[in-house]
Amino acid sequence: MIEQLRPYIVTAWHGHRNDANVPEAVRTVWNWKFQGQRNSGRVRQSNVDIALINPKGQVIHAFDGFHPSTPESETLGQYTARELLKARPKLGRFNGPRGKRPLILPGLEEGERGIRVFVRLWEDRMVAYRAPVVEVVPQQAVDWKPLAWPAKERVVQASALKPWLSQIYPPGVMERTNPQTKFVYAIKSTEGELKLRSIKSGGNNRQAILSGVVSLTDEGPNDFNYQGRIEVLLTYEQGKSAPRTLRGYFDGLYPRWDPRHKETRWLSLQAAFESLPE
Amino acid sequence: MRLVITSLAVVFLTGVAFSENPSAKRVLAGYEALRPSAKDLAMYRLDWAESLDVALKRAIRENRPICLVIIFAKYGDMASGHC
Repeated sequence: MIEQLRPYIVTAWHGHRNDANVPEAVRTVWNWKFQGQRNSGRVRQSNVDIALINPKGQVIHAFDGFHPSTPESETLGQYTARELLKARPKLGRFNGPRGKRPLILPGLEEGERGIRVFVRLWEDRMVAYRAPVVEVVPQQAVDWKPLAWPAKERVVQASALKPWLSQIYPPGVMERTNPQTKFVYAIKSTEGELKLRSIKSGGNNRQAILSGVVSLTDEGPNDFNYQGRIEVLLTYEQGKSAPRTLRGYFDGLYPRWDPRHKETRWLSLQAAFESLPE
Repeated sequence: MRLVITSLAVVFLTGVAFSENPSAKRVLAGYEALRPSAKDLAMYRLDWAESLDVALKRAIRENRPICLVIIFAKYGDMASGHC
């Protein structure tokens, strides 16, 4: 599927039907979708559509991002690839890709420092939830101070690391969305007493480990929260207080409410952290 | 000669590996295990435009088609995946 998408410029748009300035291409797709002109008779629809647009800006094909009537033997990738093939003859002549693009992850501006956070929810019922989230959080000099070289073992409050720890939440979990504003409930607190201790104090590659349990609470009702264990390896140059590099992980459990079976399912929620620039 | 150099290199690298702190090795192993692989991050090999407006202008200039992902939601960041 990635190979078939290579010729395309890929972009995304989100919004509601009553929003001001809904783009023409989106109006075209939603007219097809909501007036039943596309896949008439279909009952279930997802909230994600994919539109293929020719170089002149005309929508030439559109399809539901999560086709509900796809045979179980067909993966989401195979289904998407099949729909992309349908569009190819209608696209006309266009310029092909110039070569294989390198993997370019979200990063920082030149000269900035920060932490990249990868998050994954191991949802076994919908594979789309397992797609990795990649967030980048810029860090100023003051943000590194809680992680300054530990000459003696000390406690670091997880609240001091909230800017990057608060990125540990799953993608697209609709029950954690404010029903009025439709915005996701942000993480309002990260709590826990983490231990920071040196493990190698000599030379130009001093090392310390930060470890403990972090509890994350979102701004939704009932103090919804979840926990996980964090371990981070920090390196320091000789004579410098701020960390030079940071690598680590979070391993926790996320309570997802299943309205159908009226029960909470505990899903593995994991994250990896790395400092930038690499 | 090549065998001697290779053997010395193996001995040296093994020594370095063994001198690493076991706690550090454990944390790095956890990080490596949980960091998504290049295959899992394949969407970042695509040619992303920051908005539909930018994509439409580029499509004309470069004579290329657009793949537009439309999300019926008030928020959504496809670049990060938190959507």
